Amino acid sequence: MSNISSKNSIKAPSDRPFLNRALPKDRHFRPKLGGYNPNKPNLLAKILSYGALFLLMFSMIAAMFSTVPWLFRMEGSPLAVHGQFTVAGSIIYAITASVFAFLAVAVAALILILLLRKYLAVVQNRYGPVHNGPGGAFQTIADAFKLVSKEDFMPGDADPWVFTLAPVMVFVSAFLLMAVIPFGPDWVLADINVGLLFIIAAGTLGAYGVLVAGWSVNNKFSLLGGLRATAQLVSYEIPLAISLLSVGIWVGSLNLADIVEAQRNWWCFIPLFISAVVYLIASLAEIKMTPFDLPEAESELIAGFHTEYSGMRFGFFFVAEFAELFLLPAIAVVLFFGGYQQPLAFLVDFGAIIGSIGAEGSVLHQFSRLLANSYGLFWFLAKTAIVSWLIMWIRATLPRFRDDQLMELCWKVLIPLSIFGLFIAIILRLVFK
Amino acid sequence: MSDSTVLDTVLTNPAVGSSPTGLVQSRSDEMIVNLGPQHPATHGVLQIVLGIDGERVTSATPHIGFLHRNHEKIEEARTYEQVIPYLDRMDYVSGLQNELPYILAIEELSGIEVPERAKYIRTALFELNRVISHLVWLGTYLLDLGAITPFLYAFRDRELALDIIEKTAGARLLPNYYTFGGVRRDIHPLFWQNLGEFCDYFETVIPEYAALTIDAPIFQARTIDVGFLNAATAINHGITGPNLRAAGVAHDLRKDQPYDAYPELDFDVITLERGDAYARSKVRFEEFYQSLSLIRQCIEKAPRSGAFKGKGRVKIEEYQQRYKAVEASRGQLGVFVASDGGTGPYRSKHRSPSFTNLQVIPDLFIGQKFADVIAILGSIDIVLGEVDR
Repeated sequence: MSNISSKNSIKAPSDRPFLNRALPKDRHFRPKLGGYNPNKPNLLAKILSYGALFLLMFSMIAAMFSTVPWLFRMEGSPLAVHGQFTVAGSIIYAITASVFAFLAVAVAALILILLLRKYLAVVQNRYGPVHNGPGGAFQTIADAFKLVSKEDFMPGDADPWVFTLAPVMVFVSAFLLMAVIPFGPDWVLADINVGLLFIIAAGTLGAYGVLVAGWSVNNKFSLLGGLRATAQLVSYEIPLAISLLSVGIWVGSLNLADIVEAQRNWWCFIPLFISAVVYLIASLAEIKMTPFDLPEAESELIAGFHTEYSGMRFGFFFVAEFAELFLLPAIAVVLFFGGYQQPLAFLVDFGAIIGSIGAEGSVLHQFSRLLANSYGLFWFLAKTAIVSWLIMWIRATLPRFRDDQLMELCWKVLIPLSIFGLFIAIILRLVFK
Repeated sequence: MSDSTVLDTVLTNPAVGSSPTGLVQSRSDEMIVNLGPQHPATHGVLQIVLGIDGERVTSATPHIGFLHRNHEKIEEARTYEQVIPYLDRMDYVSGLQNELPYILAIEELSGIEVPERAKYIRTALFELNRVISHLVWLGTYLLDLGAITPFLYAFRDRELALDIIEKTAGARLLPNYYTFGGVRRDIHPLFWQNLGEFCDYFETVIPEYAALTIDAPIFQARTIDVGFLNAATAINHGITGPNLRAAGVAHDLRKDQPYDAYPELDFDVITLERGDAYARSKVRFEEFYQSLSLIRQCIEKAPRSGAFKGKGRVKIEEYQQRYKAVEASRGQLGVFVASDGGTGPYRSKHRSPSFTNLQVIPDLFIGQKFADVIAILGSIDIVLGEVDR
């Protein structure tokens, strides 16, 4: 009966041999999909194409922080005097950096959409995308082209201004977080002293966008979704903000770069474990991922607040959701898991060793700083990927809550826990610092 | 009585102005929401017109008939033999089960004897279909509750069961395999062995399903104390199947009016007392084990040789009528056949469990939350092909 385990088929797990011999051999015909046989993946092509996507995102961030300022500061450039940007230079740099930040977020979202689909496929015994590119690597790019090329449709009853603004607001609220996240020792766009408050403020804007998205289109499912989303996002802002503040209290600064530097010896999640857990759960709710996907509960509200959105307007919601899936774990990494710090940095910190090569101001030093920052960026993205994967894992496993249970979890469990975490932060601060 | 039940009583009773806790009852405008017929969670083309006040349901009216295919009228113009393929298409999730009541009725009318071996083959496949049907319920219900993965797992294992049916009958969903006096063609040599392998395998994965569903905290939170259906209401509405047994009524036609090989098989009727969505889920889970046990008993007791089809042909002389019912995966699946002595049924009327079970949903929905509507509808487990016929 073991006639299925030919080289052209998937092997069943060793503990369920029955899967292997369920079908006669001729029934196990699998057609070639778009010229690409998923049973025989070209591993090199797969690695190269997936690697190209990651490299693209990496280079966007590197360009934003390193190449562009370097070009602006070159000899004879009108934008900088003695290595300092002029006013015009600052403005032009701000615009250029935003474009690169936008591209970086968009590419991150594209990668995460692809990875989520691939990961869900792994969990669910499927292939996932395989048609476009080796191993489906270019599937989301194709999807993006599809969304852009669709008709820009607006329902007749919709309020055109609000309808148009809502996806922009949602996307911008996610995208704004890019400004304060330190990607490497020198790589932060806005090194402001109220970085934590900025995160809370920018995150809150998203709830507003979701509310008006549900409200603007005169669809009952959208309205219900918008109401649910508002209740959820506003409620979960509170444990989120309190757990963020406990980090601020423990470190003694609201500046994200300072917070990362302070985690050189001990990552914050060790003293502030409760706050870290509360943040992760609350950020799940902020991303609107299962088990907190009530605002867009497919089986109840069709697509919730974005039911009436299609084409690139929907694409903005979609990209915003996955941008948050990148940025909220990124903030978790910055605040609790050492940011760009390499693990065990207190023993030997290769980033610092690389970054100290060459005399101050020399070309060699500039290059070594680039390497050191890239090294930090690598660790930062790796940790972010792990936290994002954790969220994907939860999404693949759990059903969703009901709205009252969602509120109970927030007000009766998470907020008391986060206040407890805040007290722990205060006590630890008083004892150890 | 939980908090939500108290609130329900307050909100649905117009005589009560304020709750026992002193909270003043507040009402916003009622909103009418058309749930379906094109909705992801209505399991087909069911329309429910819901009146909702915030998240709470104030009225519910199901509208059916979007999938009406005129089965009963078509059958009047067919011969007895030609009717059977149409029956598969009523409850397409457990196609084979639909054939049995009609075939039992015609066999009884024309006095066709069924060989022992054919009875066991029928019963084993009948129970296999119950497993298939409950797997579809499991997957789609979890989909309704927001978990996507169990759906794929359920369909993975459903494939294995469908493969057995395909190897035996030649088709997967709509096999057209049962016939008057037995089954249409003989089983293949490895039939009993494959069934046994499936049982051995499937028994190992049921705990995995349980871990994702009835043992999982969020699933329990979503289903426990949701959609109470007590025994009196269930009986008044003619509810049958797992829904009735979950309300504590030990009604099972396999025990009460045994047919085919069931008299020789040893099993107990599964009942639970609570009658909520969780109990209905739990009953179906228990029925997984029960079906596997019944299949195993069939494997053990079935004669290894003998005819697969009895002698005799359908011949109904004068006006006769018969009602036969079987315990399908969703409840009592009955058919009333009347003959005027011709070559086909003069009239046939199907009593489909989904149609009857659907009647109770307005009672269950009112006062519940909008999200619970989906959870209750899924736990009732309807198939629209059978509701509309």
